[in-house]
Amino acid sequence: MNHWPFVIAAYGLTGLGSVGVVLWSYIAMRKAEKAAGSLERDR
Amino acid sequence: MKAKNQRLILALLGLVAVIGAGLLAVSGLKQEAAFFYAPGDVKDNGLPLDKAVRLGGMVADKSIKHDADGVTIHFVVEDGRAQVPVTFKGIAPDLFKEKSGVVAEGRFQPDGSFVATNLLAKHDERYMPPELEGKMHKTGTLKQ
Amino acid sequence: MHAYANPARFLKIARPLTPVFLLAGVVLVLFGSFAGLFMTPPDYLQGDSVRIMYIHVPAAWLGMGGWSGIAIASIVQLVWRHPLAGVAGRAIAVPGALFTAICLITGSIWGRPTWGTWWEWDGRMTSMLVLLFLYIGYVALANASDERTSVSRATAIFGIVGAVNLPIINRSVVWWNSLHQKSSITIKGSTIAPELLWPLAPTVVGFTLLFAAVVLMRMRANLAEAKLEARMRRMAAA
Repeated sequence: MNHWPFVIAAYGLTGLGSVGVVLWSYIAMRKAEKAAGSLERDR
Repeated sequence: MKAKNQRLILALLGLVAVIGAGLLAVSGLKQEAAFFYAPGDVKDNGLPLDKAVRLGGMVADKSIKHDADGVTIHFVVEDGRAQVPVTFKGIAPDLFKEKSGVVAEGRFQPDGSFVATNLLAKHDERYMPPELEGKMHKTGTLKQ
Repeated sequence: MHAYANPARFLKIARPLTPVFLLAGVVLVLFGSFAGLFMTPPDYLQGDSVRIMYIHVPAAWLGMGGWSGIAIASIVQLVWRHPLAGVAGRAIAVPGALFTAICLITGSIWGRPTWGTWWEWDGRMTSMLVLLFLYIGYVALANASDERTSVSRATAIFGIVGAVNLPIINRSVVWWNSLHQKSSITIKGSTIAPELLWPLAPTVVGFTLLFAAVVLMRMRANLAEAKLEARMRRMAAA
């Protein structure tokens, strides 16, 4: 049995999951900090 | 006593109680939660004839014999305490080898042998490059 | 203990640390994965499928380490009423669940070519699946309240009680006959040959840094949202 398709699938899924959670957390953080920051300036 | 210290003691007591209870419950499951029977377990406790079970152990050296039909194989599973002859008809996984681990699904026969319907390969915790095989490879049982 | 209770003080440290963790994590993970895929020899028995180890092991460590973090945060919240403990517990839950799922999935993919099965109800696999369900329960409990900067007392207690599963996962391969092999790396040393072992160091450290960066980002997002909501409430009341 050729093992490479299994190896590639495992690395691919891990990469997708990691990139996904990093991007999601980053975007949520930027959005929240921007909103909180703009409110500060308004005052 | 300060409220903070009181809470700390309560939290630690709670943690110890919960972990103790959990571990106690789990240790009670010892037999039920086992994934397979080892040949030695069967020798000690008798044959579980009435149900489909798994038998796990090492495939004995030079014990794999192929029948003329090409799909039936015979081999011996051992764990250092006992040996069980196994018959299997089908395709074995790549890692199914002599002196390596195996978990066979099937039924014990009244004569003490085992008829497997499926084979799983079990490898141990040692990993090494191919050229090192043999140098480090000491035959161990699954119980080690 | 309350030195970092003030979110402003926490943010002063978290802001510069986030990009450092993120960048170092990405570099180490990429290097370790490259090394594990192309620079190490295959295993004598498992062949190339052994390369899945370099992501499976960090994922398992982070799944279990994440819940240890939740349990510690829960104790800190219940005992010291530290205002950031709930934020930390909440921020750990989602990446912890993700890496537990990655551990289960990569393990399943690894099991097919080596053991000959995608899934078996073996002690190690079952207890790891229980950990994933614990994470899902924690996330649900934490989100049940509108409060962003803390979790309820019940959620914190759940975080502590769930920690009972961690020693069970760790010992599952010792207590029970299992399909999963025993631990290769223990305090006594490693049963993985050095030629195969070394890329595990950069991937474990790298994924841990990535995890830490994600936790920091999620904590910062929650703190900013809470700040915004508090301001809105004050403006509405005025």
